[in-house]
Formats: sequence, C-alpha cells, structure tokens
Amino acid sequence: MSSTLKGITLKGSAELVAEFFSFGINSILYQRGIYPPETFTRVTQYDLSLQLTTDPKLKNYLSNVVSQLKEWLFDCTVQKLVVVITCLETNEVLERWQFDIECDKTAKESSAPREMSMKAIQQEIRSVIRQITATVTFLPLLETACAFDLLIYTDKDLEVPEKWEESGPQMIDQSEEVRLRSFTTSIHKVSSMVAYKRMDSM
Amino acid sequence: MAESNAEWELCKENIQPLRRGRAISTLQQALSQQLEGSSTYLNQQKQAFESELRMYDGDDPMDVWDRYIKWTEQTYPQGGKESNLSVLLETAVMRFTEEKKYHNDPRYVDLWIKFADMCHEPLDIFRYMQAQGIGVKQSALYIAWSEEYEKRGNFRMADRMFQEGLKSGAESHDKLQQFHKALQARAARQAVSSVAVQESDDDDQETPEPQRMSLVELKALGKKKAVAPISRTGTSARHTTRGLQLKQPLGTSQNRQFVIFDENKASGSVPDEPKLESWKAPPSSRAKENEQRPEKWSNVKKSRFGHSVVAPPSKPNFQPFVEESDQPPVVTPCKINPAVNTILSARKPCREETPLKRLQEQQQHTQVQLEEGKVREQSMYCKELLLSGTVEFCFEELRAERYRQKHAQSLEGSPSEDNHTQSGLAL
Repeated sequence: MSSTLKGITLKGSAELVAEFFSFGINSILYQRGIYPPETFTRVTQYDLSLQLTTDPKLKNYLSNVVSQLKEWLFDCTVQKLVVVITCLETNEVLERWQFDIECDKTAKESSAPREMSMKAIQQEIRSVIRQITATVTFLPLLETACAFDLLIYTDKDLEVPEKWEESGPQMIDQSEEVRLRSFTTSIHKVSSMVAYKRMDSM
Repeated sequence: MAESNAEWELCKENIQPLRRGRAISTLQQALSQQLEGSSTYLNQQKQAFESELRMYDGDDPMDVWDRYIKWTEQTYPQGGKESNLSVLLETAVMRFTEEKKYHNDPRYVDLWIKFADMCHEPLDIFRYMQAQGIGVKQSALYIAWSEEYEKRGNFRMADRMFQEGLKSGAESHDKLQQFHKALQARAARQAVSSVAVQESDDDDQETPEPQRMSLVELKALGKKKAVAPISRTGTSARHTTRGLQLKQPLGTSQNRQFVIFDENKASGSVPDEPKLESWKAPPSSRAKENEQRPEKWSNVKKSRFGHSVVAPPSKPNFQPFVEESDQPPVVTPCKINPAVNTILSARKPCREETPLKRLQEQQQHTQVQLEEGKVREQSMYCKELLLSGTVEFCFEELRAERYRQKHAQSLEGSPSEDNHTQSGLAL
C-alpha cells in the first residue's frame, strides 16, 4: 500500500482499518501487560515504533480475527470491535476498549475511489495509537493476571462463523469512560473509547 | 469531541500514574484549573480538609486523613512539592503510630506503603513496620515488600516475603497466593530467558546485540566531521583500534574457567532469617544531600613540602565603590491569607531533621514524662489543634470554624454556601 495512492476504495479502506486493528490490539496487549513484554518485538509502522507479539498462538489467533474482520469490513456489516480485559481468577471485567465502526454502506466495490489522502489517514491513525499509549497515565494498574477477549458486533442477520461464538456485551459495572480520538477513511469511521473500573472512593 | 477533552494527552508526561488509576473527571478539572492558573477552588477544598482534620470528633480520625490524601493524589497529578503529599503522608503515618487499633487497618497500611514509596529506602520502612507490628496481618505489606525486592532483582527475598506473609496469616490469603504465583511465574520466565542467554553465550556464535565498546572512536556521518552518529554501535563504530592492544595467549584462555559466585544460585547456604531489629523510630524518609557537618578548617596544617610562596592576601588598597541607593529594600509587612498564598510562608531554619529523629524525640519525651510522673511542659492553648494538619492554623480560624458549625446547626438545612466561599481571613 503505497502512499502515492490517490484515492481510496472499499477494499483498500477495509485493509487499512483491519491493519489498524492488528496494530492497535497488539499495542493494547503490550501496554496493559496482558502478555509478557519479552514476547513482543518492535516494528515501525505509521512512523511509530510499535510492539508486535511473537507468541505463535496469539499471532495465529489475531491474524484469524483480522482476516475475518477484513471480510466484514468489506461487507460493511461490522459495527463494533471490543477488547475486553478480564481478571483470570475471578473473570471480572476490568477494562473494555471499544472501537465503534461506522460504515458508509453506499460504498461499493465497483464505485470509484474517493478522494482521501493516505497521509491524512495515517496521521489520524497515528494519533489514535499514540493516545492508546498515553492512557497509562490514568488507567489503574492491572494487578492480577489477565486474559483478553475480542468481541465483534455485527449486523443481526449475519451467520456466526465457526470458531466464533455469541456472547454478552461484558460491561463493567461502575465504570469510568474516556473517549479517545477517532479516524476515518471516508468509508469506515472508527472512534475509540476505553472504560475501566472506577476506584472505590472519589 | 476528541479535541475538547484531550487535555490529559497534552499533559501526559506530567501525570503520575496511580496504582488505582485516576478519575478522569477530576483529572480534567485539575488540569484545566492549572492551565487557567486559578487555584482558589483547590485552596478552598484544601482548607476544608484541614479544618475537618481539626474539627473531627468521631471515632475514626483516620478517615479524614485517608480522604484528604486520596483527594491530594487525584487533584495534583504532578505530585510535586505543591501537592505537599510527602508531608501529608508523613504526618498521617506518624500520627497513628501509637494507636494499636489502626495497625492492621488496610487504609493505614496503605498509607505506610505510599509513604515508603516516597522514601529512599523503602525496605527500611517495611522492616520498621514489621518490627512495630504495623500491617503484619495485611497482605498488602508483603506484596509491596516483595515487589520492592523484585525491583532490585532479588527474587529469592521477594519469594521469602510471601512465605513470611503466609506464615503470619495475613489477610487475604487468596490475594497473597495469587501474587505469589505471579511472582513465581515471572521468576521462572526470567530464569529461562537467562539460561537461554547463557547458552547463546556458550555457543559464542554472534553477539545478539551490538554493544558499544568503551573508548571507541566513532565514524563521522556525512560531510561534517564533528557530528557523531546517534547509533554508536555496529558498523558506525570505528574498528581501527589505536595504541596498545591486549592479546591474550590463545592456549591458556580456552581451558581456564572461572567459577563465578552467584548468590541467587547458592541456595544451599543457610537461609538467614531476617532478624527483627528493635526499631526505635522509622528510618529517614528523605536522604539529605549534604550530610557532612561543616567543620573547622583553620587548624588543618599545611604540609611544608618545598617552598611554597603564597603571599598573604593583602587588603585591597582601594575603597570598593558602593552605590548610595544600594540599600537593602525595605519590605512592607503585609498580611497574606495563608490559605491562598503558600509561597511566602516562612521556612523554618531546619536542622538535620528526619522523621526518625522526630519520632525518637517524641518517644523520649513521653518516656521522661512517664518517669518523672509529671508533665514538664504544658501548653495552655490547644497546640495540637493548631498544628495537627500540614499547615498551621490560627485561633481565629478555629473559632470561625466553630462559629460556622453552630451557625449551620441553627439554620438547619438551609444552604450554607456563602459561608464557605468566605475564607478564614475575612473573619
């Protein structure tokens, strides 16, 4: 995907957004210490230095999810992607990273590429990822071993593919919510938000 | 929408992360107030806490301190000097050392741990706590203690702390075990990775990371010769070595093996039980930079080696010119509301004062009193009330506070907002 690209197509947009999620989820997993830091390797993407997992199982899982997501993005049937972080022992939801996806359903594969500079999109994506990194300033420390789960909200009539199962929204009771930045490819608009457990006092 | 509340992102380097996280609304508020430079609201709240410390007459005085400290943490994200957090923690922690009922109160133990985090030698503080029996029934103490050891890479002691916690039956058992397991997992991972490193060292095929060699000249980049490259390893380091090169004889280096003592591996030795030292007072929280006392230099003899010709400093044979107007400026005495302005508060000439000494003095004092059976010094005013917080109150402020309470009681339920907006100065 070169930056000399003039416009953006539905396919390109789906790929871009899927790629963002791949890096974004990896960043969250690294930042929040869900997986040990030794299992990550540094890559440069969007002019940022990001951490990617080297754990073969996790890699496999994520690439499966992302390729599935790409299809749904292409069909414009996906509404939300949520990374849920739960305590391993008690199964309590501690953090919830929610990415709302708005699809422009008028975009078709055959329709002409839209005017949108690649640079501007990358700029926006970069600021979203930067903000994810910056959230450590207010997020509580995850003291216990945690697991993560990916939820994807799609349109209702979609068939659940194998290896996927339906689940509840896994909300946090008494949570503090912070809206993060958003970005748009003019076909898909992704706005992000993090929710975390409120402290006992204040 | 995102732009409007990105305040925290702009200041992210200035926000200290808290274990429990931050309430985003308080954070936004604190940051925006700092940006505007208006601190009146904060000062009013602070004043309210200070007066609550004094006026509280319930049976849980700790509650006020706990809330005050939590408020301070949240409201001063930078946690700098103006937050006064270290003083606050120290005062709170000192205040309840005698009260046995708080010794295993999770809030109190939490305060101690926060206090230890601010000190230079947290381990000393933890040992003191254990010796005094503060928090010995709380898992939080052992967890914090173990974390401190782990931070220093001492996994063995970190592990021992958990065992001690389990032995003493600290609450809650589950949490302790959970953290213990996590520690063991980390330690195992570390051991595995260090074994892997050792193996790769043994193979000696290639060094994984290019290391910066000391005193290696750096190749210049580009045309400007003086600029050193940022990356000082790998190919950018010049490999032409000048001067002497030490070449080891090949024969001997191969079969000589050094056995390096590794204290973490030498587990066969008798584990030294940590002794409970009799701590008189908590260890110092802040290491002073200049601990050396000034001494007399005048009787230091100059060694008479050789003929040193040092002329005695002669008096200048001219009169230094002093400008007539160069008088020290006369300071107009002014009354400043202490609640609003803390800049001009007088700094007392401090001796070498550490919390250690302060508590020692206090303890000695009470001992003397007990022995003699009478109180030597008696303040004929409510000294404790005036000095109990982190700032000093004056009588009028206390009186005003009592008046306000009475007033509020007589009004019963009607809003007393305008009472609050007036600060102590007005009365």
